[in-house]
Amino acid sequence: MTTAVDEAPYFDIESPDFAIKSEQVYAARERSWYARTSYGLAVLRYDEMSRLLKHPKLRQGSVAWPAHNGITEGPFAEWWASWVLNKEGEEHHRLRRLMNPAFSPRLIGGLVPRFQALANELIDGFAEPGRCEFMSEFANPYAARVIAIMLGLPEEEWPVIASESAAIGLAMGITLRTELPRITRALANLYAYADDLIAARRAQPRDDFVTALVKAADEGDKLSDDELRDGLVLLIFGGFDTTRNQLGLAMQTFLDNPAQWRLLASRPELGKKAVEEVMRVNPTVTWVTREALEDFTFEGLDVAAGTTVHLFSQSAGTDPRAFPDCGFDIEAERKPHYGFGGGAHHCLGHFVARSDMSEALPLLARRLVDPRLGGTATWLPDSGNTGPVTLPIAFTPAS
Amino acid sequence: MMGTNQARSQQLRIEVDFNVCADHGQCAIAAPDIFRIDDKGHLVFDANPDAALHADADDAADACPEQAITIID
Repeated sequence: MTTAVDEAPYFDIESPDFAIKSEQVYAARERSWYARTSYGLAVLRYDEMSRLLKHPKLRQGSVAWPAHNGITEGPFAEWWASWVLNKEGEEHHRLRRLMNPAFSPRLIGGLVPRFQALANELIDGFAEPGRCEFMSEFANPYAARVIAIMLGLPEEEWPVIASESAAIGLAMGITLRTELPRITRALANLYAYADDLIAARRAQPRDDFVTALVKAADEGDKLSDDELRDGLVLLIFGGFDTTRNQLGLAMQTFLDNPAQWRLLASRPELGKKAVEEVMRVNPTVTWVTREALEDFTFEGLDVAAGTTVHLFSQSAGTDPRAFPDCGFDIEAERKPHYGFGGGAHHCLGHFVARSDMSEALPLLARRLVDPRLGGTATWLPDSGNTGPVTLPIAFTPAS
Repeated sequence: MMGTNQARSQQLRIEVDFNVCADHGQCAIAAPDIFRIDDKGHLVFDANPDAALHADADDAADACPEQAITIID
């Protein structure tokens, strides 16, 4: 079967010239369901991604990422290893069970009016009529203040959440090694922040999520202090960085599809489907990583134990085999996308993300009429968790 | 009346919409006494577990990313 490997397309995914959303990847997807890369295999088609995402011979694969970048010790390596995302088996399940209740759809449903009020407040606050820098004036404060609402933090402290989480987000991309000092500083700041929050709730319990976690930690050996702190930092980072990026990518997609924006403005109930459709064609998590636990054969390909397998979410989400009419259409009935990953490590906060974005997008569509690019946008690297750094837009304010 | 209700309340009834279920296995993490992912990666579950597992069943229904699980009291 080695010949099959040799005939597969090849990507140097660590090269700055490699782009996940590119003709190179789409052309490779027509030739083969997988590609070889400079760091493991890449899976390019929907059906294969769907099956491999939940394959029993694969574990979550990010655990090796720092070591792959030459980082084997220090606070960043320790924090990475502590993630619930990087745990498996009963240890993973225990952490997941403790965190899940804070993210139940019933609890989040009660926050919808606050999400709507927040979106309106931010749009009201744009510095200039008819223009905004979408990331700093909307996506960043919106995503960060949603986390603050969830965790019972003062909303005016959102810039701490935003700046430190964005720095940690750089850890997902190929520039990890060069950004390590900045990432480590951000981690230290968020640790201090989480420690303060835990101490505050211990001193003065509230009826909120953090108090519930602190109680769980204090009632026996359910959750150690380190696990509590690491978990809070993960929730702050994981909830902020992905949501702000995904909102920016949503705006990018709608700038290219003005008729769909007008449709969303006139039919706000399409907000939920708009979120799903955006995440299918333009997900912030451009790849989901797995690692082979043991040797196995899949679709005729021998995969050796320890092989890293990158599941290319965007390539799978636009695979014509699964989405024959793959144009951007927020009314279409689609198969599920894998923008939230899947299986045991399915995104913990997806109900929050789905709920807050499905409120924000129709509201933006109604109030920002005829949006277009209002300057030069700047972008995060295409690998890992991508999105705009800045996205200036011009629009006609709704009357 | 009281008697039959009591007898019935000893068990829950659980339904899973397999048109929606994607075999993520979050229910098996939340409520391992009711739900399990088999060797082939597919969900199997006890449709009539003991009522003492109600809280676990609710957690599983909440945790399901596809919201495929219904608990009938």
